[in-house]
Amino acid sequence: MTTLALYSNKGGVGKTAAAVNLSYLSAQTGTKTLICDLDPQGSATYYFRVKPKLKSGPKGFVKGNKGVYKSVKGTDFENLDILPADFSLRKLDVLYTKFGNSKKRLKKMLYPFAGEYRLIILDCPVTIGILAENILNAADCTLVPMIPTTLSVRTYNQLLAFCKKKRYDVAKIYPFFSMVDRHKKMHKDLMLSVSRKYRGVLKSFVPYLAQIEKMGIYRAPVAVSAPESLASKSYQNLWSKVQKNILNPL
Amino acid sequence: MINNLKFNLPDGHDEKQFIRQLADQYTIKKEPTVDERLRIYDTFDWRLFNKALILYSAGNRLFLRKLAKSEILHSVEFSKVPVFIQDFHAGEFKKQLAPIIKMRALLQLVELQSRSTPYRILNSDQKTVARLVFEEIRPPRKRSTPASANHLWLKPVKGYPKYARNLAKRIEAAGFTRGKAEDIYFEALAVVDKTPGSYSTKMNIRLDPAMRSDQAAKVVLRFLLNVMRINEAVFEKDLDTEVLHDFRVALRRTRSALAQIKNVFPTRTTSRFKKNFAYVGKRSNALRDLDVYLLNQDAYKAMLPAAVRDDIDPLFRHLRKKRAKAFQHVMRGLKSKKYATLMKDWEAFLNQPPPDSATALNAELPVIELARQSIYKKSLGVVKTGNKILANNENETLHALRIECKKLRYLMEFFASLFPRKKMNALIAQLKNLQDNLGDFNDLCVQQEYLLHIAAELPAGQRHIQKTLVAIGSLIEALDREKHDVREAFAKTFTDFAAPAIQKLFQALFSSKAQSG
Repeated sequence: MTTLALYSNKGGVGKTAAAVNLSYLSAQTGTKTLICDLDPQGSATYYFRVKPKLKSGPKGFVKGNKGVYKSVKGTDFENLDILPADFSLRKLDVLYTKFGNSKKRLKKMLYPFAGEYRLIILDCPVTIGILAENILNAADCTLVPMIPTTLSVRTYNQLLAFCKKKRYDVAKIYPFFSMVDRHKKMHKDLMLSVSRKYRGVLKSFVPYLAQIEKMGIYRAPVAVSAPESLASKSYQNLWSKVQKNILNPL
Repeated sequence: MINNLKFNLPDGHDEKQFIRQLADQYTIKKEPTVDERLRIYDTFDWRLFNKALILYSAGNRLFLRKLAKSEILHSVEFSKVPVFIQDFHAGEFKKQLAPIIKMRALLQLVELQSRSTPYRILNSDQKTVARLVFEEIRPPRKRSTPASANHLWLKPVKGYPKYARNLAKRIEAAGFTRGKAEDIYFEALAVVDKTPGSYSTKMNIRLDPAMRSDQAAKVVLRFLLNVMRINEAVFEKDLDTEVLHDFRVALRRTRSALAQIKNVFPTRTTSRFKKNFAYVGKRSNALRDLDVYLLNQDAYKAMLPAAVRDDIDPLFRHLRKKRAKAFQHVMRGLKSKKYATLMKDWEAFLNQPPPDSATALNAELPVIELARQSIYKKSLGVVKTGNKILANNENETLHALRIECKKLRYLMEFFASLFPRKKMNALIAQLKNLQDNLGDFNDLCVQQEYLLHIAAELPAGQRHIQKTLVAIGSLIEALDREKHDVREAFAKTFTDFAAPAIQKLFQALFSSKAQSG
């Protein structure tokens, strides 16, 4: 089982859209895939038309009670299941702190899924506390969507500093560009300089496209609602890079 | 895990009408019908099936999955269907297949046309809560023939069990009957009359301890004849090296059975067949040797220093040419009248009813007694010869010991069904360790000599051949180092085999004293 986190300490960068589309593309190859919606807003859950409800409650989620495993739902797509979000997940940071061994609880909770799933994709909320550490511990690698703006790069630097301070392996972190406006010179320039400066930047990006925003209307991955669209193709490219650079060598 | 349910269609079934009926209770969405050409592959000896793996292609993708599971373990795109493991690109697929299929070729077992029409059952959020799939399987290019399998699958979606339960009730009420949820693999192979796992070189026979020894020997020999026949029939196709290998092993076992299961047939019969089979074996020696060198090509190259690694390629080109000739030589032998007569006579002999009066000393002896005697005696012989080698540090006798071990191994395998399986397996495993060591040593000696001999065959005048000769020299040296290591390991391997615990087990199972006492 491999665990892949879609994580960023900045909001609105396209984490959920990437998590939903990549998990769909993974399932399409026949790989049993589970997407875990850790975000109390429950956007991924909404996209898959599932009710945001965890039978375990937030405490049970932190402790890995049976209710967590009973909450898993099949999606519209074969080989793809979802562990839905729940509004109560907003308390995760507090609850992880409250119980002992607080930084590895998520990893432990995911462990029983190993028998059934070969890939787990975590759709993470914006966080840089205990929950972030749980995510970094649970994930075999972390994908960070990054808008090519100075603020985004600054936040990415904060993340790297955080990882170094807390001794997390930065080699497991792979940024990729998201919501790219190809007409903006600044986006292009920043992409070039960031790719040179940081290691692990995936050579595949997701443009800013209306088709991706429309996922909220169609409630389906873009590869399903608009299979021939540029949006769909850009996620397919991203997925093949993830397979080639990250999953295959693991 | 939730299980898919399979239903057989009722007589006069009408798909559209059935879906219309369901639509009074459920929102149903039809998905596009999928037509797929499926091809299933395995090796000649069912290596994938024996590991519960199914390799199949649909379109231009190759898939590997577990038997009776729908999850795909690996999938890969191909432009030409891979036959040997080296035809796969490096990756997970290759990594998983390599240790299983090894040097065997992948063969297409069956080609099928499958048509599936999926329907999704939706809840009020337009979310899929169950799937219905009508599935039809038929041999390709025969649209007029009735489908060989026609089913309805109910595929529950995790987290929505109530829908699946209610749908199952509705389906049964409409006259569908529950089918055995067997893997489509078996149905597919049944279409072409193939039985998975039907070929194996393992001595898959059951002997009765009280059986007459001559009849028991014939059971063993008939099994071996069958293996020979099966491989001989496909030899011409040159699928892979193991067809000849399996043929030769069955032949060698046959000769060994004739020699080691002593005095069960008239001496004249035994010696005639022994002589003729020896001839058949000899005729294919050269081809097998060449096969082994060519199979080892990568391993040999890995032994060489990088600087001369590619210089050895002309040698393998030369060997490949020789192999083509050797193959034809064996082919002619198998097609000859002499061989046909031999096999016909042999078959006739094996199928003769038992004679009324004994024609040989041990013919009527219960097989269990003969088995015990021969195995025990041979095992003592192996220990004696081995000890001699240890005491005198002789290399020459190693060859004799290897042959003795082989004879013992064959005897144990012929008669394995007469003894407790676990104990027998433990002894065979120990013997196998010793055989591996002796086999490796012998192979290395033979290979060194062969390389020296073959070097003389290459056109020495050419410049690049001189480089090849240097590389061959380097290879001979590398083989020598390995030979030394293998020889070093002999003492320990043999001492393990001759250990009191193992020898006591031999005694307990096979010695007549242990049996009567």
